[in-house]
Order: sequence, then C-alpha cells, then structure tokens
Amino acid sequence: MTSAPPQHPTDARAAFFAARPTRSATVDLSVRIGSLTLANPVMPASGCFGPALGRLIPVAELGAVVTKTVFGTPRGGNAAHRLTEIRAGMVNSVGIPSRGAAGFLAELHPRYRELGVPVIISVGGHRPAEYAPVVRDLDGAGDAYELNVSCPNLDRLGTDIGSDPDAILAVVRAARQATDKPLIVKLPVLASSIADCALAAQEAGADAVCVANSIPALPLQPDTRSPALGNVIGGLSGPSIRPIVLRLVWLAARAVEIPVIACGGIETAEDALDYFAVGARAVQVGTASFGRPFAMVEIVRALQERCADDEVAGIRDLIDLWRAQ
Amino acid sequence: MTAMASLAREALRRQQAFAAADEAALDGLISVRPPAGQPRPEPVWDDARVLEHTNVGQRYRRLVLATGTIARTALAGQFLMITVPPTGGERILLPRPMAIHRRHPDAGTVEVIYGVAGRGTIALADVAVGGSLLVTGPLGRGFEIPSDARTALLIGRGVGVCAIMASVEDAAARGVDATVVLSGRTRFDLIGVTDCAELGAAVIPVTDDDGSSSIPALGERLRAEFRDNPPAVILVCGAGVLARLAAELGAEWGVPVQVSLEAHMACGLGYCHGCAAPVATDPEVEGPLVCVDGPVFDAALPVSSL
Repeated sequence: MTSAPPQHPTDARAAFFAARPTRSATVDLSVRIGSLTLANPVMPASGCFGPALGRLIPVAELGAVVTKTVFGTPRGGNAAHRLTEIRAGMVNSVGIPSRGAAGFLAELHPRYRELGVPVIISVGGHRPAEYAPVVRDLDGAGDAYELNVSCPNLDRLGTDIGSDPDAILAVVRAARQATDKPLIVKLPVLASSIADCALAAQEAGADAVCVANSIPALPLQPDTRSPALGNVIGGLSGPSIRPIVLRLVWLAARAVEIPVIACGGIETAEDALDYFAVGARAVQVGTASFGRPFAMVEIVRALQERCADDEVAGIRDLIDLWRAQ
Repeated sequence: MTAMASLAREALRRQQAFAAADEAALDGLISVRPPAGQPRPEPVWDDARVLEHTNVGQRYRRLVLATGTIARTALAGQFLMITVPPTGGERILLPRPMAIHRRHPDAGTVEVIYGVAGRGTIALADVAVGGSLLVTGPLGRGFEIPSDARTALLIGRGVGVCAIMASVEDAAARGVDATVVLSGRTRFDLIGVTDCAELGAAVIPVTDDDGSSSIPALGERLRAEFRDNPPAVILVCGAGVLARLAAELGAEWGVPVQVSLEAHMACGLGYCHGCAAPVATDPEVEGPLVCVDGPVFDAALPVSSL
C-alpha cells in the first residue's frame, strides 16, 4: 500500500514523502541480479520488512523488497521473549513464524505486489531437500528468490545448511531446476570458509550471494544473568557486526563473479559505500529500519546526491574516483 | 555475606518471584478482541518537539510532545514507538514502545510517562526540552468502551496507568461515569491523580506501603463498592495479577474486561514478529502479536476455572 502523501505536509512523514529527489536524472544506481534489473542497490534484509512499512515510507523508491522467510509448511515461531537489546546490538530469536507457501500466496503476496518494486521472496527449509519444492510452489510469485540457508540442517544436526558447501550445492542445484528466476543465496556468518560457500552457490547456478546474516549470540538479563530470550540463543545484528561482515563481503567478492549483496549493520549511505568499496554490488538494511523507518529510502537518496555532487554516473565511478586519488 | 548483600539478594529474589507470579497470572486469560468498530488511524512518524520533560514522583518522567497528526488521530490505548537519540556515548538501536497517556488535539500535543528503568529509558531521560524526538504512531489496537456503557471501572498500576488514561478522556467526553483505581508503591508514586481530577473521574488510590494495593484488599474493596451497581466494562493495565482480579470481577458481574499488555518490540507494526502475546496456540500457528493484535486484549477466566 503506497499511501498518497497529504497535499500540505502536516508531519515529518508527509514531508518525507513529498521530498522527491530532484537530482537523480544523471545518476544511474541500477544493478543487475541475474536477469533482474533493480533501479538501485538498496533493499531490506529479510525479516526486517513488511507491507505495513509502505504506510510509513515511499517503498517505491527502493531497489526491491525482500519478504520474511517462507517455509513450505506453517511454523509458529519461538516463545517470548523473542528479542532484546544489549550494548552490542539487537538479538532476536523470533524463530521465523511462517504461514507456509500457500498462506503466503493467499494472504501476504498480494500486499507485496501493491508496493510497486521487485519482490524477492526469502525461502527457508529444515533440510536441503525442502527448498526447491517451496520455490516451485511459489513460482510466478517472486521476481527473485533468496535462499535462506542460515537454518539448522536437520539432516546433519549441529550444522547450518549454509555453513556446508555440499549442502549449499544441493539446495541451489535443486532450486535452479525449480525456477528460471534469479536465485540469491543468503550465507551465514559462521561458515568455515565464506569463499568456499560463495563458490558453491555460484557453481550450482546462483545469480548472487547475500553476505551475511545475524551472528549467533546468547544475551543475558543484566540483573539475574538468566537468558534474556525464550529460545536462549538468538542472532546479533546492528552496527557492531559491520566490521565482521565487511571482512566476509571482501572475502566473498574476491572469490566469486556473481554479485555480492552486503547485509550487516548498515545504517547510512556511508556504511553502504564501505561495503561497495570492498566489492558489494547491493546492500540490505535490517536493524536500522526499526529505529529509523525511513533509513533505507534515506540511503537511496543520499547515494543519488553523493553521485550527483561528485558528478559521476554511478557508484562504480565513485569508487574509481576514490581509488584514483 | 554482608547484611547488605544478603538484603540485596533477598530483594532480587522477591522481585523475580513476583515477576514470575505476575506473568503466570495471565495464563489462559488473554484472547484477541473481535474486530474494532472503527478503522485504526493511519500511523505516521514525526519529529516531535519536546515541550516539557519533567519528573513525576521518584521514578517516572513525563514528556509533552508536539505532534499534531498523532494528537488528532490517536485512539485511547494506542501507543508510540519512541526512538531514543544518542546521548552521552550511548547508542540505543530499538525504539521503545510507550502508551499515549494524554491527547490534546487542540494543542497538537500528546503526553507520555515512562519509568526510568533500563539503558533506553535512562538515555531518554536526558533528552532536553526544545529538542525533538522521532516518534512513530499511533499504533496498535486500543481500549474501547462499549457504546451502551454508562459506567466504567479502570484499573492502572505504576506506569500502566498511562495506557488507561486516554480512556478516562473518552469516558469524560461521552458522559460515562469512570471510577479509576490508581495503584503504586507509595502515594508519591501514583500517576494520574491530577489527570483524573481534571477529567472528573472518581479515584480509588491504593498503595503497597499501606497494603491497600494487595489483590485481596483491592478485590474486597471493589466488590463492596460495586455490589449493587457493577460497572459496564473493566479496563486494566499494569500487572498480570490485576488483570486476573479484573477477569474475576468481570465474571462475577457479567461484564467484559479488556487488558493492555506490554512486550519487547522492534518495529511496532507487526512485521518483525518480535512481540509474541502470552496466548497458548498450536505450535504450527503463529499466535497473536502484542503490537498489532493488541496491546489491548480481552481478558476472561478460562472456562475450567469458572
């Protein structure tokens, strides 16, 4: 739902909707993910976006949106408390509640379609064989699919699918058979070699990798030192993980030809430019949207301004400019 | 162990036992309210100027925020997400959900009262008058006084009073006789005494230091007060044990009870799925969320305990 801004802005949201960028004509921020061209490289991280945000920000200014992970069958999610904030960042153990593929198509997909930008559907599974059937069930619905392989592998207990190059090969090869649409593989932080995992995704036919996901963490309550989360373990996100993920993006971008989408603690255009400088071609924004719902749109506008100020056509030229100095 | 350490440990143990009992008191009590009679207002975000920021008693702070759209549209019991600006080197990432205590549509302002309790609210307490705060709202499903109600009982404890005060405004505007229980540790900690006086609501102040806030004492007092003429609805916020008492009174009097809950939240709009409500559901089906299905829920005793 992209709501029309009021004629006379009465609050900061309305003023933000009304402030359309004016200097973007000469700047081209577009990026290709396989056969899909995004108007710009900024999109939400899976789980940190919903159609409800379309009431607060001009979503049509984003490059794409990414859905919460869809599993084949419904899941209830974890027990409360599902999230907490510690000095190091936000830790969540939401547990990916999902209405399943059928529920997503019936209830959520139409609302995503109203947003006016490409829709990337995040797909999950409890074992490698579960991904392709979900992609097949969803086909036609997504403009691209992001395979969330940061899930515990029930076929090999104690490992995540995405930390095991063989499991990644199996997931992506099967999904490749299930759709012609672009496939993005969202890799976890705790892989023994992010380069090997990214290479496995590329070899199996993925069109991009997304690096990375939240970092497994155990937050305690300050007074009692008992676990702060119902699930005990959660995923750490926010600005503190940025230098960790920056290294992983650098490693992955050196290893593969396909685009690397960076995801980890991005709050501003400056943060996004750090990732572009180490080889990322697009960025996902997660935790920052909670405190500042307009963060993603602000990043798009700031990237346009930045390129226009430096009189360059796009982000690649901006980076070349820095390198030349 | 020194006597001081022993006392501190005992206080912590009591606090934990109380928290556990309070959470358990909600078991089986909560259900999602039927669809609202009126549509929810469109939420906005705004840079709200801080017009006042003052102490309330020993432990609370009161903000008066200039945010015209929210002041004009917020329904009773709705809440704001307040983004805490960086202060003193402290970065707070997640906005804090806070009830809209008072709406002043003509002035274009809302009031919020919060307890200074953790990192977020300690940082928020430093925000200066004249600065601005990023606020998102109005959010969530609020309280509704049934259209045929002529009387209402509202029960608030601590900062939970803030969730019910806009319903006291509604009651005053509609000529509903409101009786408001204000509960707190001491009479200096009570929130809402002057608000209720301004709005013409009868107040029953109860406190821990004289024992009047204990559940048996309060239950006895309310049963005596309303024996011949029960209120048409009960609205409650601030403690699980108070919600259970309200549900017991509701069952005895045959009147509906609505309770406002709190939860850790990240988005406030439903998309992060962070605020699971304490409702037992099928493990394959996601239960309700406090932010969009609540924060106001129906509270009724489980059939087995009637």
